[in-house]
Amino acid sequence: MAAIEIRNLSKSFGAVRAVDDVSFTVEAGTVTGFLGPNGAGKTTTLRSLLGLVTPDSGEALINGRGYTDLAAPLSEVGAVLEATSFHPGRTARNHLRVLCTAAGLPAARADQTLGQVGLADVAGKRVAGFSLGMRQRLALATALLGEPKILILDEPANGLDPAGIQWLRGFLRFLADDQGCTVLVSSHVLAEVEQTVDDVVIIAKGRLIRQGTLAELTSNGDRGVRVSGPEVERLRPRLEAAGATVECPESGVLLVHGAQPETVGQAALDELVVLSELVRQRSDLEQVFLELTGDPAAPPGPDPVPALTETPGGTS
Amino acid sequence: MIRLVKAELQKVFTTRMVWGMLALSLGFTAIGLVALSLLSGMQGAPPITDPDGVKNLFSQAGVGLVFAFVIGTLLITGEYRFQTITHTFLVTPRRQRVVAAKLVACAGVGLFFGAAGIALAFAVGVPALLIKGGSLSLIDGDVVRLCAGVVAAMALYTILGLALGSLLRNQVAAIVVGIGWVYVLENLLVALLPSVGKWLPGGAAQAVYGVSSPLGGDYLPAWGGAALLVGYALLFAVVASATTIRRDIT
Ligand SMILES: Nc1ncnc2c1ncn2[C@@H]1O[C@H](COP(=O)(O)OP(=O)(O)O)[C@@H](O)[C@H]1O
Ligand SMILES: [Mg+2]
Repeated sequence: MAAIEIRNLSKSFGAVRAVDDVSFTVEAGTVTGFLGPNGAGKTTTLRSLLGLVTPDSGEALINGRGYTDLAAPLSEVGAVLEATSFHPGRTARNHLRVLCTAAGLPAARADQTLGQVGLADVAGKRVAGFSLGMRQRLALATALLGEPKILILDEPANGLDPAGIQWLRGFLRFLADDQGCTVLVSSHVLAEVEQTVDDVVIIAKGRLIRQGTLAELTSNGDRGVRVSGPEVERLRPRLEAAGATVECPESGVLLVHGAQPETVGQAALDELVVLSELVRQRSDLEQVFLELTGDPAAPPGPDPVPALTETPGGTS
Repeated sequence: MIRLVKAELQKVFTTRMVWGMLALSLGFTAIGLVALSLLSGMQGAPPITDPDGVKNLFSQAGVGLVFAFVIGTLLITGEYRFQTITHTFLVTPRRQRVVAAKLVACAGVGLFFGAAGIALAFAVGVPALLIKGGSLSLIDGDVVRLCAGVVAAMALYTILGLALGSLLRNQVAAIVVGIGWVYVLENLLVALLPSVGKWLPGGAAQAVYGVSSPLGGDYLPAWGGAALLVGYALLFAVVASATTIRRDIT
């Protein structure tokens, strides 16, 4: 059984179709990136999964059950959500204690989780004085209170400085690798999560674009092996004999498709060709992401110029 | 369920606001007690040493209703304002249980405010009565009933705050509307149009206190006032749950 299952989920806010027939699953023990540009419907999907938003149709299940049917939700799933905050006049510890009381967890969990997220020193401080990064850590502490095996994080990197993001990445990997947690983490910036996730789910404009492993996504962007050196042209016969196609984008550089870097290296050794560079070329992941999601903010590609803009005085 | 009520009470008592409101409530009670005691028998002011005067004196325990109301409002509007409602519903996704816990917690806060007011009323009222030459036998069943009324009214107004807060969600709006109602509109109606006013929460509270209307209008009998207060509490409870349970939290 999948740890998380979203089945034909739809939700509209007035005329806005925030989530439109989205289905995907998250397997236990993986870190899954839930990606899409702002307004794609990530938050709405996650809030539906957590029983905070009532979907118009479809289901969102955790361990096969709806969130509201979980007997001890905090012990099954922890969540860090956007647009969640804390009463500024309450201390970090008291925030967590209130939740412990309501969830029937021992009050000692408050200090334990504060320690886990590195806030032990400010446990007794009012949240009013906390930076955005500290609040984000406190939010993570709330998610960890019940020692859940599933974690759902909505844009957790927002407001974190680079060091904080680095820490978060490590922490998520620790939860997945050492604690066996399933993690679903959303982001509108692929680069934030690409080093952390195993799988990706991409949505845009409320619709599912693609689900797969990160490797599948990036292999789509494989642009061949780039090899350079003064005499690389001498490798061409051998590589073509091995079934690769070879391009020469500029003199002294070959772009080899359909061959592993090892094959190219072996060819260079056999031909005794001096190399100055041998690298697997990937297209920029962010570019793949932008192409897939059709983000209007993406730089225009070399597409033919739309006819309308060529018409002087045309309506645009 | 008990742990949810405990959690709600913990929310109230882990911020400073509750102590500020309690201080204000007791402050108003103290002013009323001292003023009535000092003016007793002077310039036509009713002496505190006759039965009505005693009731009037002890009814000062409940003049801080509006501050209990504010605490009730904050218990729900604060959740929306600071977006802690998300945490609350994540812990307890069955929202009607959260609403029920908040209602009980509000009743508890009202009880606490009422008890504090009564304690102060006795602390000031008993010596004042003795100084003015009154007899402690004046503190009779009527005063006991009045104290029960103070506690009931405090609880009711805290729940009223919760209900109005659930309806409006905006903290400032709920407090302004609530104070405007308690201090201005309701007082006016109770005083000027007793036939309407006696059916309002304020009139019902006065009926339970058993004090007579300043303008001579009649209140409901005490049991009628009590029944009306309970009816209002139920009505507000329905408002509070109906407005909280279905909404999307985004
Ligand atoms: N409470 C709401 N009321 C109206 N529209 C909303 C509400 N919440 C989200 N939306 C709209 O739904 C769409 C998806 O939003 P959201 O799920 O927050 O996307 P994301 O988290 O991917 O940025 C957006 O167009 C947003 O404006
Ligand atoms: Mg979002």
